[in-house]
Amino acid sequence: MPQLHDSTSRSNTDAQLSAHEYSFDRIFGLETEYGLSVTGTDHAIEAGAVAVTMFRPVVEHARSTNTYEPNGARLYLDVGSHPEYATAEARSPFDALVNDAAGEQIMRSMALTAQQQLRKQEQRHQASTAQTNSSQALIHLFKNNADSAGHSFGCHENYLIRRFVHLQDITNQLLPFLITRQIMTGAGRFADGHFRITQRATFVDETVSSATTRSRPMVNTRDEPHANPEQFRRLHVIIGDSNRSQWATRMKLAMTHLVLCVIEHYARLEQQPASPTFIESQPSSTSPFASFALADPVAANHAIDEFGAHAVITLATGEQLTALELQQRYLAGCQQFLTEFSTHVDRSLGEAGAAQHIADEWQSSLELLSRDDFESLAHTMDWAAKLQLYSRLVSRMLQINLEQAQQMLLGRENAQQLPNAVSARLAQLDLDYHDIANGQVFESLVRHGYVRQEVTQQQAEQAVSTPPSHTRAVLRGQFIQAAEQAGVRFTCDWTSLEVLEPHKVSIQLLDPFVSSAAEVPQLTQVLDDLVQRATQFRASH
Amino acid sequence: MPQQRMHAASQSSDSQQNQEQPQAQVSQQQQNTTAEQVDALDAILDDISTVLETNAQEYVDSFVQKGGQ
Repeated sequence: MPQLHDSTSRSNTDAQLSAHEYSFDRIFGLETEYGLSVTGTDHAIEAGAVAVTMFRPVVEHARSTNTYEPNGARLYLDVGSHPEYATAEARSPFDALVNDAAGEQIMRSMALTAQQQLRKQEQRHQASTAQTNSSQALIHLFKNNADSAGHSFGCHENYLIRRFVHLQDITNQLLPFLITRQIMTGAGRFADGHFRITQRATFVDETVSSATTRSRPMVNTRDEPHANPEQFRRLHVIIGDSNRSQWATRMKLAMTHLVLCVIEHYARLEQQPASPTFIESQPSSTSPFASFALADPVAANHAIDEFGAHAVITLATGEQLTALELQQRYLAGCQQFLTEFSTHVDRSLGEAGAAQHIADEWQSSLELLSRDDFESLAHTMDWAAKLQLYSRLVSRMLQINLEQAQQMLLGRENAQQLPNAVSARLAQLDLDYHDIANGQVFESLVRHGYVRQEVTQQQAEQAVSTPPSHTRAVLRGQFIQAAEQAGVRFTCDWTSLEVLEPHKVSIQLLDPFVSSAAEVPQLTQVLDDLVQRATQFRASH
Repeated sequence: MPQQRMHAASQSSDSQQNQEQPQAQVSQQQQNTTAEQVDALDAILDDISTVLETNAQEYVDSFVQKGGQ
């Protein structure tokens, strides 16, 4: 990285990079694709047209539909007219959650602005046809993973992991966790006449591969670490659902972090048994997850989608157990690991007690699942909140008790099929739940205290212009804000910043853990220059 | 065949960490909370009455968007 550091800071940097390699420090990120539709018009409006209207202010500002925000995040229009928001690099699951909540704010605001324009257009159209009603057009922006015709789109999680973790460890040790964690983080979906606990399982047909659209694997191997590739790889998880529950968004990252810490620890021992590490004692050299590989991951994924925590799955060893039991074993492995390494994991999260807190939340969730305590689960889990509300609606519409309604919803044996009118209503609510622009179901659940949120409105609004701390995103954010104030053309991506005028200056930022401009002399210079030009820019306008 | 539902009450006890809740107690607890649950859920359903009055099929059919990852 010759552009990054001068020779005097080089040795420091190497030490820092090594420190990260031997720590459990991690970068977290979430990429969310949104779905689009319009109701309230007398003619169909294509999602593509709505997306173009939504991104018009972005294009006017940035001359592109692919842009980075002052909070370090990436905002762009993806294949198939899906607006997409990728969070900035975050050092903790909560920081990633807050940046994701800022993404919802940005997307909602864009959708509502586009809605106003659409209504004006509609009114002009109506005036020309001598109609007098004001337009009731509504733009729906869905943070979910499937449209009504069964086209799927994703919510991808990114984790920076150490290069010495083998793909085989991911398949054998991580995949069974990712599949079974859905008993907590599944967003629930009503489609084809019955309820499932995930949005995504129906569409996932492979385990670990490099494809994303031709077929859909659970983990994508596209290796773009956006960091030093000799030390890190990017783990790109695409099995997960888009969650509205902030608990689920945070916990899917948090629990996965704990499991990855354990996997990395044992991979490190295997890789460098004799090298000096910060780890003094080595009680066992085998990962507690070494024998958790599944016999048929795709079948297990579908079984959990249908039956949740009590789905029976088969390990490669031939042993049969429930998804809940496998989760209990993962938790036990993490808890055992934390008896020795909790301070190290706490350090990675920047907070004393953070690791144990995650394990405690995980444990109490599994306890609630073991008792089928849906009411308590509904406070935190999307699928449970939906199941509760839908059951009550079905029981009211068909005048049956809650238990019967739930059996019908779940499509259980001996339960009658839901009448078409009821199914249509449930399918509608299931979309409304995910509509962050005009949805009412989820908002009402929160307003009544039925679902608990973790990020305040004020925090989310602040995060629209504030990057997550202690990451490269801080520098990207400073650069974007300075360049905008100076009124100069610029461009950037995850690892570079570029001023385009009056002459080109490029700065590479390969280390995602660097957050102080003082560590990047060239950037300090560029920022100083931009501040000066901002003063001139203001004076001349 | 191996992928089927195992009821909570019939889980094998040897590998369970969470066996301190006998099934009878669970049922009692569920009965006690049912009335409160129903009230809470009804309040939410009343709150979203405008959603429940719109044409559900039209709403669902309007969301078709090919493509994505």
